[in-house]
Amino acid sequence: MKKALLLGLMIVLMATAAWAAGEMPKKGGNLTICVADEPPGLDPTASASAAIDRVVYANIFEGLTKIDRTGKYVPGLALKWDISTDGKVVTFQLRKGVTFHNGEPFNAAVAKWNIERGAAEGTKNAHPEFFRIIEKIETPDDTTLKLTLKNPDSLFIVHMAEGDAVMLPMKGYENTAAHPIGTGPFKFVAWNRGDRVEMARNEKYWNPQLPYLDKVTYRFIGDASAMASALKAGDVDIIGWLQAPELAADFVKDKRFKVLSGSSVAENIMSTNNKVAPFDNKLVRQAMAHAIDRKAVIDLVMAGYGTPIGSHWPPVTPYYENLTGKFPYDPQKAKELLAKAGYPNGFEATIKLPAIYAYSKRAGEVIADMLGQVGIKLKIELVEWGVWLDRVFKQKDFQLSMIGHAEAWDIGIYANPNYYFQYDSKEFRDAYANALKATTTEEQSKWFKRCQEIVAEDAVNGYLFVIPSLSVMKADLQNWWKDYPTIVLDCTEVWWKK
Amino acid sequence: MLRYLTQKLITLALLLFLVSITVFSVLFVLPGDPAQIILGVNATPESLATLRADLGLDKSFMGQYGDWVAHLLTGQSQPSIHYKMPVSELILSRLTVTGPMALLAMLFAVAISLPFGIYAARNQNRPGDVTVMFFTQLGLATPEFWFGILLILLFSVQLGWFSAGGFPGWRVDFWGSLRALLLPAFALGVIRASILTRLTRSSMLEVLGEDYVRTARAKGLTERTVVYVHALRNALIPVLTIMGLQLGQLLAGAIIIENVYFLPGLGRLVFSAIGQRDLPVVRDIVLFMAAAVMLVNFVVDLAYAFVDPRIKLK
Repeated sequence: MKKALLLGLMIVLMATAAWAAGEMPKKGGNLTICVADEPPGLDPTASASAAIDRVVYANIFEGLTKIDRTGKYVPGLALKWDISTDGKVVTFQLRKGVTFHNGEPFNAAVAKWNIERGAAEGTKNAHPEFFRIIEKIETPDDTTLKLTLKNPDSLFIVHMAEGDAVMLPMKGYENTAAHPIGTGPFKFVAWNRGDRVEMARNEKYWNPQLPYLDKVTYRFIGDASAMASALKAGDVDIIGWLQAPELAADFVKDKRFKVLSGSSVAENIMSTNNKVAPFDNKLVRQAMAHAIDRKAVIDLVMAGYGTPIGSHWPPVTPYYENLTGKFPYDPQKAKELLAKAGYPNGFEATIKLPAIYAYSKRAGEVIADMLGQVGIKLKIELVEWGVWLDRVFKQKDFQLSMIGHAEAWDIGIYANPNYYFQYDSKEFRDAYANALKATTTEEQSKWFKRCQEIVAEDAVNGYLFVIPSLSVMKADLQNWWKDYPTIVLDCTEVWWKK
Repeated sequence: MLRYLTQKLITLALLLFLVSITVFSVLFVLPGDPAQIILGVNATPESLATLRADLGLDKSFMGQYGDWVAHLLTGQSQPSIHYKMPVSELILSRLTVTGPMALLAMLFAVAISLPFGIYAARNQNRPGDVTVMFFTQLGLATPEFWFGILLILLFSVQLGWFSAGGFPGWRVDFWGSLRALLLPAFALGVIRASILTRLTRSSMLEVLGEDYVRTARAKGLTERTVVYVHALRNALIPVLTIMGLQLGQLLAGAIIIENVYFLPGLGRLVFSAIGQRDLPVVRDIVLFMAAAVMLVNFVVDLAYAFVDPRIKLK
């Protein structure tokens, strides 16, 4: 509630500031966004694919809560929520007068149906556990949704802001993958497979001020330099996520364009198999941490864009603790630790790099060089994405790898000893359980920070940097999100100054 | 002729069957789980199992192969995992991009290679010939994607005459769509023209040395008639063969050029489908491409008879 108020206040302040500067948002105009990956269907409740959320989330679909551009969770279709002192009862007050694009009303009964659908036996939702924690759903009236949880879960509100928890209409939901119908500021118009998804302003959006744009088109261009050419030739208005940061410099110099560089929630880590020798030895992992010069990695791999991290937590997410100083770059120290671990002459290992991600490929090459300087000889093996998922992720057949973990609030993967990096720590599991159980912000903060500290101290993986949310756009485009604190390209408040 | 056709058809069916077995087996043992790719790395095992069952991936090798063939034989293809629509529709819609682009590219290739090839042959070892050969050498050495990027930089980014890629759709904007195919088709065509020019030249040189050409000249025909009526027709046969192969190759997917110009064509479809393990799409496209290449070769066989009546189809 406090957060909602605060946000309201912030919006008023921001609006005033904008008005004072003579920059009132204008309605109208079309926006063409180019993104690299075409989504596998347009139903975020049937897949965890980031490509889906980047197109439909917050534009076509909304959930009860949402994450705003600063990383805080704020009201979505729920105006506010109260959490009981024991943390088990969450009562949402829903917005009145919200309708889906097909005219169906949104109310407590619809919300209940959506949650039951996510929790159902045989659901296609990628995260049924988000909903299965709910023991009882009550709908005392049309705008009240009272959920009783099996046990307190401090991430419940966050989960309700994920793409997996968006609200679909009870009648018009069947064809969501091909023709999505939501409550969002934009209505689905067409999906020209292999090329684009088009959407148009929802005239009946619950906030009559929004959106500003008339039409939004997502175009799918896989190749980074083709993206850059498309923007320069005027075929697209913005590159939502520039995957080749070295191309940014060119746009920074060009007055027709502007570059926003913020932080995403994707931690790029050198994932390490904690069960295989010699990486089961904490000293070896710590030695590697000392051997890596994060600043140089960022300069070489990301053309200087990107924020260094010391643990598995992005700086744009609440409760962040800066642990980058824990293992400063110190090759001498690294060699000492290696000697202490029983490898005075180093050892040989293989790093498997997913070929589709340019940043992992390059980071792998840079890291191989850095580790080589302290005696760890890395053999680089490039693997195709499907193979990576199968061999590295599923069968855990790897020593080292390099990958961006894109989901926000995902430190819980360290509590699962079967997760591909096979980290098994009771201390962490307890701390994480405490964080989930915590009912106050102070408690949550304490335990989530503890979680960050434990994985940093154990040097579970090589924590390198958060992938920058680099967007390049025409100079007249206003109000695009600088940071991407969740997986979304939200066009709701974007407008053209022309 | 009829016997020839039946023979060809049986070969075609047999080949398609072999291709289908090969494709299916390769994709079956290829690591990578479509369900995992769709649901992402943090999906629960239960969701994965549900989706796998839903896609029929929990069945045995023979079970899945049977499913596929049954679908094909009844004329309806399986739905794409990624796009949620029948693969046949996808292929057809993508062909409206790749097909015209391939034809246009061949048109460019022929329009460039025939005149230059003939010219070079008639001016053998003179400066004109050397210049043409130099450029064909350059064309052979140039990767087509790089040439494509150069064209974009010049015509789209610098001059702004064409868009840098994309495809508006024939129904939305016919001339715009044609324009969108010009640059990629030119990039493809010029590179192919290099081979064809060299081939036309050498084939032409060979024919020009034949006795009947000397006879034609001896009976006082104009050089024009000798070259274009008597020599060219015979010189075209090896050129036609290569053109057929090239056209098949172009249909089978100008994968890289389609990615450079982000055209929603067949090549890009199969490229992304492999990455996403959209197995129904990959299988059907490979089968379709195999059929297309065989068909083009068949048409070329027919064309031999047309160009040279002495060739009989048996």
